Amino acid sequence: MRASASPSVSPATDRDVDELLLSKIRLGIVAELLTAEWIAFSELARALDVSNGNLGAHVARLVDAGYVDEEKSFLNRRPLTRYRLTTRGRDAFVAHVEQLQSLLKANV
Amino acid sequence: MESLDGAQAREHIEMVERILSESSQRLCSGAGYFIVWGLYSGSATIGFQLINNGVLPPAALWGQGALLLAAIVYTILASRAQRAASTRRSLVQREFLNVLALTIGLAFIANVGAFNLFHGWAASAIWSFAEAIVLLYIGMHGNRRAQICGVLVVVSMIVANFVHGDLAGYVLAAGMVAGYAGFGIAERLAGD
Repeated sequence: MRASASPSVSPATDRDVDELLLSKIRLGIVAELLTAEWIAFSELARALDVSNGNLGAHVARLVDAGYVDEEKSFLNRRPLTRYRLTTRGRDAFVAHVEQLQSLLKANV
Repeated sequence: MESLDGAQAREHIEMVERILSESSQRLCSGAGYFIVWGLYSGSATIGFQLINNGVLPPAALWGQGALLLAAIVYTILASRAQRAASTRRSLVQREFLNVLALTIGLAFIANVGAFNLFHGWAASAIWSFAEAIVLLYIGMHGNRRAQICGVLVVVSMIVANFVHGDLAGYVLAAGMVAGYAGFGIAERLAGD
């Protein structure tokens, strides 16, 4: 997945990158949740075009880290799992994107 | 420890930008609500006008009560169905629902609790006022149809202010039907 032709970032800057958000899928989950009050599991899987199992594993790590809140309920007797971004997750996302942007500038 | 190179950083930034630009900023307004409440408020205002003009007896107000009940039942059933089918709610949608609840709620309070202040055609016009706020709020988020329909409602209030009392209700009702219900029809035709 890593593009070897591109220059690597400097180690000092690399330390500041949020490891949890280095995964494209996890970053995508947080980006999707950024403009939403909540999103259902099925809709996240559709929007990111990932399998349920893959999404479940990634979203569980975000929940464990406190970036995302999980809410399980039943609607019309059907299980419904919804996710919403926490303040911690929002702050981490903003810091991470700023870091990515500074990496890009440093590598231009 | 994982690391990231320049190409990956660019790829991630591009993905984030794509997701944010694709994330729907459009308000999920629900065309049916606008049609039902636009038709109800319009017919109620016409009813008041007909009673005021002596065409209908005051007992006709009971018919309006039945229409109001039907509109409320529709709203409850439709919102339940919408909630069951919904898989995402954007922050913009939440803001819209807050504005809708505040506007309609305050109009209701003014109508029911301050009828000595808002009597006569003011009691109907306050609903036009609330409908105009809702439509223009949607219009502020880039919906051209809502902008046009909101202006229609505002114009109907201004015109109603200057026409004879025997016609004011019809003008207000025209604004409600063409503006509020008309917006719902336009949204439905556009594939809401």
